[in-house]
Amino acid sequence: MSRIFVHLVAPAGISACLIALALPAGVHAQSDVAKVYKTNCVLCHAADGSGNSPSGKALGAKDLASSEVQKKSDAEIAEMIAKGKGKMPAFGAKLKLDDIKQLVAYIRAIPKK
Amino acid sequence: MKLTRPFVYLIAAGTVILILITSRDSRAVPSYTRQTGLPCATCHFAPPELTPFGRKFKLDGYVFRTKPEVTEDQDKHKKVHDSTLHLLEAYPLSVVFDTSFTSTSSPQPATQNGNFQFPQDISLFLAGAWADHVGSFAQVTYTAQGNHFSWDNTDVRYANTHDLFGKPFAYGITFNNNPTVEDLWNSTPAWGFPFTASNVSPTPTAKAIINGALAQDVAGFGGYTMWNEHLYIGGTIYRSQHLGGAQPNPGTGFGFNIRGLAPYWRVAWQTVTKNNSLEFGTYGMHVKSSPTAVTGLTNGYTDWAFDFQYDRTIPQFKNDVLSFRGTYIRENSSLGATFAAGGASLIGHHLNTVQGNVEYHYGSKLSGTVGLFKITGTPDPLLYVQAPVSGSANGDPRSNGYILNVSWWPQQNIDLAVQYTGYLQFNGAQTNYDGAGRKAGGNNAVFLLARFVF
Repeated sequence: MSRIFVHLVAPAGISACLIALALPAGVHAQSDVAKVYKTNCVLCHAADGSGNSPSGKALGAKDLASSEVQKKSDAEIAEMIAKGKGKMPAFGAKLKLDDIKQLVAYIRAIPKK
Repeated sequence: MKLTRPFVYLIAAGTVILILITSRDSRAVPSYTRQTGLPCATCHFAPPELTPFGRKFKLDGYVFRTKPEVTEDQDKHKKVHDSTLHLLEAYPLSVVFDTSFTSTSSPQPATQNGNFQFPQDISLFLAGAWADHVGSFAQVTYTAQGNHFSWDNTDVRYANTHDLFGKPFAYGITFNNNPTVEDLWNSTPAWGFPFTASNVSPTPTAKAIINGALAQDVAGFGGYTMWNEHLYIGGTIYRSQHLGGAQPNPGTGFGFNIRGLAPYWRVAWQTVTKNNSLEFGTYGMHVKSSPTAVTGLTNGYTDWAFDFQYDRTIPQFKNDVLSFRGTYIRENSSLGATFAAGGASLIGHHLNTVQGNVEYHYGSKLSGTVGLFKITGTPDPLLYVQAPVSGSANGDPRSNGYILNVSWWPQQNIDLAVQYTGYLQFNGAQTNYDGAGRKAGGNNAVFLLARFVF
């Protein structure tokens, strides 16, 4: 059994994982802005924007649907994304202006609970 | 000129202060900080202790970044089949430089007490995002004792996230070389307390196999998941990979040669609120090994362990953090090969290890820790042999004691630490434990460390 595992199951498992890695990133249908949000914002703000992820709770991340965030102008939100604020890092060096604009629209569309 | 002990302490203290003064303008940052644009304190209460953000960063494969990249995305308007590219502009390299001083209560026979190491070790890290979902913590370390670089703790992982049953589901695979190095908490051996230690003062002989015996001596491949940000399940299979040993592995000269595969498992549950972070879980490992060979009789080890960690942020004290951590490891071993070779007087053994510590973090600048440890197990005069300093006169693995540590971080990347380790019992006794007249308290050690991370 152990020999079968060493010679068959383990290499097969590793190969399967490597194939999974090699698959195109865009296999899962997802809009560009959703992907940008997932890559950059979910860690703290959570998938629903609530800030209820463990990191978000510990760092006090804002609920993006809250009036505190939503009452800000598009330019103010864009500036916060680009330059960062408080514990939030600046994304201006990584994200294109167009990505930031789309993110602002994405944040505007987060439904209020 | 004869160096008296107070004089040596004075020089040590002076050196530490001098290093501090001359390094005040250093603005060093390690590669994760360069990649994320976040200060060290976002991921660490004090390195290497992870905050909830730090744990998520590791869970997600060390890839979160805010800094410029060389990129090429797929053009969705043209149906080309080109690959994408997301490459860090800054190569993710970091350095840790440790210099230290150790003094034991009684000198080790025929050696000089009051041991300076400049450096104790220097580690180079390749730590950061390799691609969209692939990142690493890879370390090579130069040690003054060995006078060479060697491969150290390494964890290369692929990670991704999706939803499962409407809840966030993070998953990944890891290649690593030390059981528990893939873990997210500081209650398991690889990242547990003490976070720094002398490499010259004597330590108890008996040690569970999961408690560092296989570190950097194995190659592992595993997977992990975190569901709903609460339930963590992981597993890794290990094979022996002896650094500096012949390939294919003949096993000669190495104490542990894994036969077949050695599975490691981990299940943990965590909950995080604004000011509280609680984790408890279990981990363990099963190893079948032949000493100094890859054929013939085997020794079997099964380690079952439980751990917990609780971090409490105290808003009334400017968000200082109080941490409690603990682990219990039960090892059952069947030493058929060692018994047949005359290295053990019986086949069945067990070993119990208990470790616990409490730490207060005064902001990110100062931390004080009190740790306790206790090892008990099956006495065996052939397995735990009599020898000066490192041996046991009565073949008993029992040791217990405490560790006190104060770390001062004048900057987030400079650690000046004072550590005292006290033994109440060492290798089975309080007095004359080695049969050569040495007391357990003779191994009590003062350890001063200056660490620079840049």
